[in-house]
Amino acid sequence: MGNLRTGHLVEGALWLTLCLFLYGYSFEFERDIEIYKFGATAWPRTIILLMAIAAVGQLIHHWKYGDGTASNMISAAMDDGAEEAAHEAHHESLGWYMATFALLAIPFIYMRVPDWIAGWISAEGTTLHILRLGFAAILIGVFLTQMRRNMVGAILALPLFFAALLEDMGFYALAPFFIIGVMYLFGETRPKPMIAIMALIYGLLMTLFVKVLFVGLPVGNIHPFYDIGSWVVTVLQ
Amino acid sequence: MDAFDNFLTGTVTLFSDPLGILIFFGGVIGGMLFGAIPGVSMLTLAAILLPFTAHLSAEHGIMLFSVIYCTGVYGGAITAILFNIPGAPENAPTAFDGYPMTLNGQAGKAVGAAVMCSAIGGTVSCIIMMLATAAIADWAISAFGPPEIFALVFFGLAVAASVGAKTFWKGWLSILIGLMVAVVGLDPVGGIERYDFEMPYLLAGIHFIPTILGFFAVSEIFVQAEKKVVGSYVAPKMGVEFPTLKELLAHKIAVIRSIVIGFFCGILPGIGATLAAFMGYNEAVRWSKTPEEFGKGKLEGVISSETANNAATGAAMIPLLALGLPGGALTAMMVGVFQMHDMEPGPLVFINSADLVWVVFAAMFFANISIIFIGFLETKTIINLLRIPFQFLAPMILLLATVGAYAVRGLTIDVVVMFLAGVIGFFLRRSGYSVAGIVLGLILGKIGEQTFAQAMQMLHFEWSGFFDRPIALGLLIVGFITLGGSIYGAFFKTKPPPAPDTAA
Repeated sequence: MGNLRTGHLVEGALWLTLCLFLYGYSFEFERDIEIYKFGATAWPRTIILLMAIAAVGQLIHHWKYGDGTASNMISAAMDDGAEEAAHEAHHESLGWYMATFALLAIPFIYMRVPDWIAGWISAEGTTLHILRLGFAAILIGVFLTQMRRNMVGAILALPLFFAALLEDMGFYALAPFFIIGVMYLFGETRPKPMIAIMALIYGLLMTLFVKVLFVGLPVGNIHPFYDIGSWVVTVLQ
Repeated sequence: MDAFDNFLTGTVTLFSDPLGILIFFGGVIGGMLFGAIPGVSMLTLAAILLPFTAHLSAEHGIMLFSVIYCTGVYGGAITAILFNIPGAPENAPTAFDGYPMTLNGQAGKAVGAAVMCSAIGGTVSCIIMMLATAAIADWAISAFGPPEIFALVFFGLAVAASVGAKTFWKGWLSILIGLMVAVVGLDPVGGIERYDFEMPYLLAGIHFIPTILGFFAVSEIFVQAEKKVVGSYVAPKMGVEFPTLKELLAHKIAVIRSIVIGFFCGILPGIGATLAAFMGYNEAVRWSKTPEEFGKGKLEGVISSETANNAATGAAMIPLLALGLPGGALTAMMVGVFQMHDMEPGPLVFINSADLVWVVFAAMFFANISIIFIGFLETKTIINLLRIPFQFLAPMILLLATVGAYAVRGLTIDVVVMFLAGVIGFFLRRSGYSVAGIVLGLILGKIGEQTFAQAMQMLHFEWSGFFDRPIALGLLIVGFITLGGSIYGAFFKTKPPPAPDTAA
């Protein structure tokens, strides 16, 4: 096993699995191009081959040197402290990864599952909106209960959840909650500064982008969020 | 003397028009601010402003974008130095030494060096651009076809693989991820859908602006979050100590070398400031007597990177105006400004709109000069951003990034892509991969594949055709030597791992 650790093997396996998946999927678009004999697959397959070679090279490197570094590398990545922070926080266990990916799944559940259910029960219009709101409420509840157990996982998942909700609930209605959520996850618990900073950030952004630059941000498409967004835009413009 | 007369005419035209002056200073300050505010960049500002240039004259629209380009490239250095968040990929190498300097309490000196060297690099590049546009454009047209551009892309990626990641293999894997992301969408020859997973959004490919925002700005917030949660987050020390003239003169060779590198990288269509900065930095390491000090807060690292990327800005205008070929994201947006005014950039612009060309040249010259004055003043304001507690700065950065990602195409899925890129970037960074490498691969991937396909068609699919093209052959050979050196280093120059952690 040399200097290989389980993490190195998992990393190598992930790369090789990705290569296999990408190679397999490349047959979906394997078609001839009359004027180009290499076709549409030669370039991506070359990249996949190089990726597989690099993944094996990385495994050999880990086997020989563990986490050692070549002296001719200019390794900014080492200096940003990301690896050290992960190590110090003991965020390298399988349990932590599982908990984090469970939190990260929440936004994707919201983006996919309500549509699947709506398809099965042929829901549309107001029914679909109620279904989506119900799902959002449940998932927010799940998120709130899980976030205290894994603050870093929650910080990773919150922006994605915010992005997933943007289409339905709009930027204008969601942004204040998002600002407070991020501040809380970063350790701010005093209500007055949180509300003051939230109002300041929200006011600055609205003034700059909506009033001065006339940037159209998503207003949402579910009542009452759509009405709130439209009202903010009307007031500012 | 023609060039000087034209420059004077352009200057008079620029400063005799009140609206022109307003747009000029708006562009200078806006470029610096958007370059400097963490989470947004000059590209964000340009993307937001692009639709509004339809209400301006073509002259004002192009001038605004060219000024934003000059000052935004500098502005991105401020965040690279202070927050380890490069405003754009071309500022990524600046962070390698700039951020460690901030952590060592030398933020002021690093920013000061960036101000001076950005102005020097940009101004010299601008002067050369004005004096030699026609001759250089002629040379580039005749000497650089698709085989040469492909060879240069290959060389650039080979260089970039040894920068930023923990090992050579991780450097290459980072670049290859970027190249793979660039494959998504329609293939450049036959228009065949690749890796679209039957999602209409992916047919147009993954847009680089949300990806850049995600990998740089968002992943940085996540990394800082983990540090804060475990209590290892340390607010950067502050200090305003600009480098002395003596210190700058001590690095004059690095400045001259980076100007030459930056200018030649900038002039080549599709390459631009990003590769210039990486090459400027890499050459500084290669020529240095103390290469081991790079990456730990060496002033020369900041000087080399910032001189090179700003030297590329003036040069990048040559292929855009002479050939209609954008050298990067911002110059690509300039093509959009031309098109909104029913114009096509290319040789005819010099004949039909000579006034426009010289107003733009004059504006770029004065924008670079103004970096020294406005840059020094604005930097002191920006440094005060460090006093803001990170829990208040983080939501601001995330929301600015959200607006930036959404403003590009008005799609919420771009916001999802940005945050997803942030999560992926977070996991890759904590495993020693290079997000700068990914973004470089993404940007150069499309150009690389397109020029490779054109080159092979041009050479009738005969690989030996490269032997008849000395520039392409030379670049390929140097690229392979660089790769070989990196592989040799990976196997034979690797340090033994530190003493095992018995607690683990």
